[in-house]
Amino acid sequence: MRCFWNMTRISELIPVQNSFSHTSTLATMAPQETPFQIAIPAEQIALLRKKLELTVLPDELEDAGREYGASLSDIRRLVTRWKDGYDWRKHEAQLNTELPQFTTDIEIDGFGTLNVHYVHKRSDVVDAIPLLFVHGWPGSFLEVRHILPLLTESSPKHPSFHVVAFSLPGYGFSEAPKKKGFELTQYAELGNKLMTALGYNEYVTQDGCWGHLVSEYYHPNNRCKLRGEHSNAWHTNAPMAPPPHPISRPLLFLNHLIFGYTPKEKAGFERSLWFRNKGNGYYHEQSTQPQTLGYGLTDSPVGLLAWIYEKLVNWTDDYPWDDDEVLTWISIYWFSRAGPAASVRIYFEVNKAYPNLLEGATSKTTIPMGYSYFPKEIVKLPKRWLRAPNLVFESDHTSGGHFAAHEKPKELVDDLRKMFGKGGPAFGVVHGRSGYDPQSRL
Amino acid sequence: MTTAEIPFKIDIPDSKLSLLKQKLALTTFPDELEDAGREYGAPLADIQRLVARWRDGYDWRKHEAELNAELPQFMKDIEVEGFGTLAIHYVHKKSEVEDAIPLLFVHGWPGNFLEVRKILPLLTAASPDHPSFHVVAISMPGYGFSDGPTKKGFRFPQYAEVANKLMLALGYDQYVTQGGDLGFFVTRKIANMYGGKHSKAWHTNFPRLPNSSPPKLFSRPLAYLTHILTPYTEAEKAGLARTDWFEKLGRGYFMEQSTQPQTLGYGLTDSPAGLLAWIYEKLVNWSDDYLWDDDEVLTWVSTYWFSRAGPAASLRIYYEMVQGNERGHEDTSIPLGFSYFPKELFNVPKRWHKASNLVFESEHTAGGHFAAHEKPELLVNDLRAMFGKGGPAFGIVPGKAGYR
Repeated sequence: MRCFWNMTRISELIPVQNSFSHTSTLATMAPQETPFQIAIPAEQIALLRKKLELTVLPDELEDAGREYGASLSDIRRLVTRWKDGYDWRKHEAQLNTELPQFTTDIEIDGFGTLNVHYVHKRSDVVDAIPLLFVHGWPGSFLEVRHILPLLTESSPKHPSFHVVAFSLPGYGFSEAPKKKGFELTQYAELGNKLMTALGYNEYVTQDGCWGHLVSEYYHPNNRCKLRGEHSNAWHTNAPMAPPPHPISRPLLFLNHLIFGYTPKEKAGFERSLWFRNKGNGYYHEQSTQPQTLGYGLTDSPVGLLAWIYEKLVNWTDDYPWDDDEVLTWISIYWFSRAGPAASVRIYFEVNKAYPNLLEGATSKTTIPMGYSYFPKEIVKLPKRWLRAPNLVFESDHTSGGHFAAHEKPKELVDDLRKMFGKGGPAFGVVHGRSGYDPQSRL
Repeated sequence: MTTAEIPFKIDIPDSKLSLLKQKLALTTFPDELEDAGREYGAPLADIQRLVARWRDGYDWRKHEAELNAELPQFMKDIEVEGFGTLAIHYVHKKSEVEDAIPLLFVHGWPGNFLEVRKILPLLTAASPDHPSFHVVAISMPGYGFSDGPTKKGFRFPQYAEVANKLMLALGYDQYVTQGGDLGFFVTRKIANMYGGKHSKAWHTNFPRLPNSSPPKLFSRPLAYLTHILTPYTEAEKAGLARTDWFEKLGRGYFMEQSTQPQTLGYGLTDSPAGLLAWIYEKLVNWSDDYLWDDDEVLTWVSTYWFSRAGPAASLRIYYEMVQGNERGHEDTSIPLGFSYFPKELFNVPKRWHKASNLVFESEHTAGGHFAAHEKPELLVNDLRAMFGKGGPAFGIVPGKAGYR
């Protein structure tokens, strides 16, 4: 089954680092945080408007609905709004107010220094759990917006988190790599270096993709053990695993033959099949000819809008997108530091580096792992395919899709609180940072 | 039943030309990775150069005039069951040889009626040494200056119906066909629906049979033995590598066009650079080191940019054929001819092909996917060999052997 690229469990692939003392950099702010405010130059806004004014729209077949792609009436309405009415400066100011942003230089082996943009918000709880939030495509650092206040808020009733949400290289306001070959290993290196630069020697991660499958299969076992020194646990809302197979997963295969699937599981299969048969065209183009695609995404606002909007609608669970919400999301891509074409190269690099990523990969991660299941995630597999010895937390939901942090912030955060809070299976997984104030640690 | 022909000349309104120029002037380019070459897609240097030329220097009116001079074009309304009437654009040139063989040429994607340009004079030329053809090159619905369908579900049977009705309306009750890419599928459908009665033989440069895979032991034991005992030639290995490349790295466009064509259509309609890159990548990768001239490329892409139905319409055939499950096995019974060009996207050992109606095969050492454009003489020689005196399909159209 082909998979999509959203974002990986980047911290899974953190290469071997020098050992740090666990007690070293606990309480203080990390050195050298350079604050950042989004401030798109007026010329860029003016150029966008000029292009929008010249927009030429295609026709559409009668009764096409969403069957052939993003619907014409939606796109027409969004373009009109983007051109007249949508106020980027207002949203830019809101983002700057809500999301404390910074930039920092990170050196990546073989790729030189990249200037990385990130959101960083500390909880008032000194011993809050450091959490690295990793967005995917077509997402961005914006996806942390709804969960940020919930994660950092302090209460004796649940753990708190210090949150870092970085813009992957090539996204948001991070620089993009200039050389070929920047793949999962490099993203992992970057995530880890950022966290340690911020004084978070140990942390947990949250993301929405199939990082599971990019684990030990491609990295020697010793890395997994050593990785426990930095990333201590991870949580995802997009779990993946290979299917039952008589040779590689024999017990599961037997189970698959003998026991049927529940209606909910069957619905999940249908969703996965829909994605496979109708939903992953973007993946094939992005992983084979990203530059070709990039010209249209860079030159045409409506082209970029449609390419992303189709996923915002199809991958969510009837989320009632507000037009300005969509346009802010797309504008981040349009105004991104590296341009939208840079954001799709990751698919090519990963496909090239790991051509058989999904075939035969079995989870060999050992750090505690947690899954949140949302029904409209784009690949929905039966839970018994996903079970693993280190799967310590599972949570089922009756609504929600791929962009869980955006669609279901409260539910996602509740899951994280349960997994990492007192009595939870990953409580205390980060040494000295339980997520609670000392007096509530009873 | 012949109906009157309505002459057509391409005449793009000035307003469309000036809008194109305005957009080109505002083009924003992406960056590119160091040493990307063609590995990640159409190279930035090429696209920048082509956009600059398209904006300043490329003279559409000059090329428009040349096309009108070289290609006699017409429009005809064709009624399609369940879809109403479509205005169909086509090229039609008769040979001086009265009994020339009527030939329908069907283009593919990202091709169009322009692909008949070089073979047209060769096919219609009169000579005692080879047969001549009356040539009809149709712009498929959604391409060139034909209407696009407005309803869902316009599939290969509909394309075949349009083409057949066009030939009948021009007085060609019986004819032969030549097609590649999507033209292969359409002419195969014509062979199935109208084979024997109207379509008498079909030739393709996109040799793709449903059973074109390694012979299996139980279904074709002798072929299987040959397959495992005879080593592949260098040419065959290269062909398989080419096929593999296309399968793994060349089909992204196909996956998007066959699942979300409307989504893709917005960018192709709104951005000349986006449309140019989307098509140019294939012109380069699918041909056999063909030396594209910049203006040649720009004329090709302009035909998509200025098309009657717009570029988004041209993609929908992919959706319809995949969602309608139309690419699978289909036997035909009328005589079939294959021309093999080494850089075609699907190039498997000839011995894998098995069809009782395969009467003509011709193998070449150069040429790619756009055979009529890259290797017009080679393709026409093949058609002359297949349909001429002594050829396996000589006289297949009664009364129209192709000679005086």
